[in-house]
Amino acid sequence: MNAATRNLRSLVAAFAVAALLAGCSMTATTVDSAAAPSTPSVAVSPAPPSPRPTARKDVRTVSAGLDTQSPQAVPPIRLRINDLDIDMTVEPIGLATDGAMALPENPADAAWYRYGAWPGSDQGSIVIAAHVDSLNYPLGPMARLPEAVPGTQIIVTTADGTEVVYVVADEGFVVKRDVPWADVFDRTGEPRLTIVTCGGEFDYERRTYLSNVIVTALPSE
Amino acid sequence: MRKLLATGIAAGAFIAVAAIVPANAADGDAQLSVLHGIPGMTVDVYVNGELTLDDFKPGTLAGPLDLPAGTYSVAITASDAADDSDPALGPIDLSLESGGNYTAVAHLTEKGDPSATLFNNDISKLDAGEGRLTVRHVAAAPAVDVLAGDTAVITDLSNPDEKVLNLPAGTVSASVAATGTTDPVIGPADVNVAEGVNTIVYAWGSLEDKNLDIAVQTIDGLHSNPDSIPAGSVGMVATNKPFDATGLWIGAGFAGLLAAAGGTVAVRAKSRR
Repeated sequence: MNAATRNLRSLVAAFAVAALLAGCSMTATTVDSAAAPSTPSVAVSPAPPSPRPTARKDVRTVSAGLDTQSPQAVPPIRLRINDLDIDMTVEPIGLATDGAMALPENPADAAWYRYGAWPGSDQGSIVIAAHVDSLNYPLGPMARLPEAVPGTQIIVTTADGTEVVYVVADEGFVVKRDVPWADVFDRTGEPRLTIVTCGGEFDYERRTYLSNVIVTALPSE
Repeated sequence: MRKLLATGIAAGAFIAVAAIVPANAADGDAQLSVLHGIPGMTVDVYVNGELTLDDFKPGTLAGPLDLPAGTYSVAITASDAADDSDPALGPIDLSLESGGNYTAVAHLTEKGDPSATLFNNDISKLDAGEGRLTVRHVAAAPAVDVLAGDTAVITDLSNPDEKVLNLPAGTVSASVAATGTTDPVIGPADVNVAEGVNTIVYAWGSLEDKNLDIAVQTIDGLHSNPDSIPAGSVGMVATNKPFDATGLWIGAGFAGLLAAAGGTVAVRAKSRR
């Protein structure tokens, strides 16, 4: 078997599986029951002295003024991974018309999913993503994302000038076909940075990668 | 998926809290929050005879509490009462359904009398990109309009009714005016209709006593997620490149490859028989 035949074989294999896979652009149907609302913890307050009866249950009580509404995000505006020579502007972006996360067309620019966590959120996944390549532009910096290893430092700058340092977690690099998007966009759990691009095998017919490259990093101690 | 609840108001009910509350929510529990919207009246709240909220002040929100479904008897007393034998309001039986999310509000009626209303909070999932705005009129005031900027988005809302809107997420400059007018009696105030959150805004207090105010409650976790991140369209870093000259696959050469690939599939399929 010569090289050309092998390549052909892999191409055929890619075609054969493409219809079955939730790849880099196809819709995954994962539903995460863990995405249900979290239960705030109940704060403990001292009970008043007798002789009056004391409340048996400590119930969280807050002033219900306007300052109790959901906080406004402070968006990340710059992403740097010096070890990988990555330095990208980041803009707040929401959804594409097809239900996917929208991205800047230019692979040199990254997007932050503006409805999710941001640096400074007390919980949840901060999602920053960018195209790895695009027909009208040179190969993007995210092409080097697979070089990230546990311990690789990532610096995110927010709109208020704050720099937050993250470190790629142990086993923080994956190339996945069936991405559990509810986990990627999880708004609960420990604060973490999730960087997403595409990679792995390419479907030359649908012109889309079959896998996402995902790097998870935790705030530096 | 949570059970979708019929929206609506069960009037005449009030606060409930279990005498014994489990540490963690069990499936099928109800969630209950309590808002105190009667100006100038600090109270104690008894549930099933037990003091549950002590020195509960106007403009504060308690909860949410996870409660087994069931019926709870609630009484509100003056804050210095020794027990619930002489309630200022109640006792009232409050029925909570499994999986429901409720807010009980102590408030004034349109005429200014103390009252209580149990609201059923809409916790159905929102589409990605959307937030939910719920507006509740629990103030001693006539019917109102709610304005976003200069535009009335809710009209003729009366005590103790509510209106629920699903909106593109974002900040709304909201004000409240007597229905049919645009002169604010509350606001304008910036309300963050956050994505995936039910932001519940209460107009409470008394127009006559000039202490109308806004209270806010949020219920998060109602969001939907993007279903993919398509982040490449060329294959420049593909691990299955057919050949190195990236880009040349477009055109006749690629068509030829496709034909060859198709042929290979056909041949292999045949040979397996």
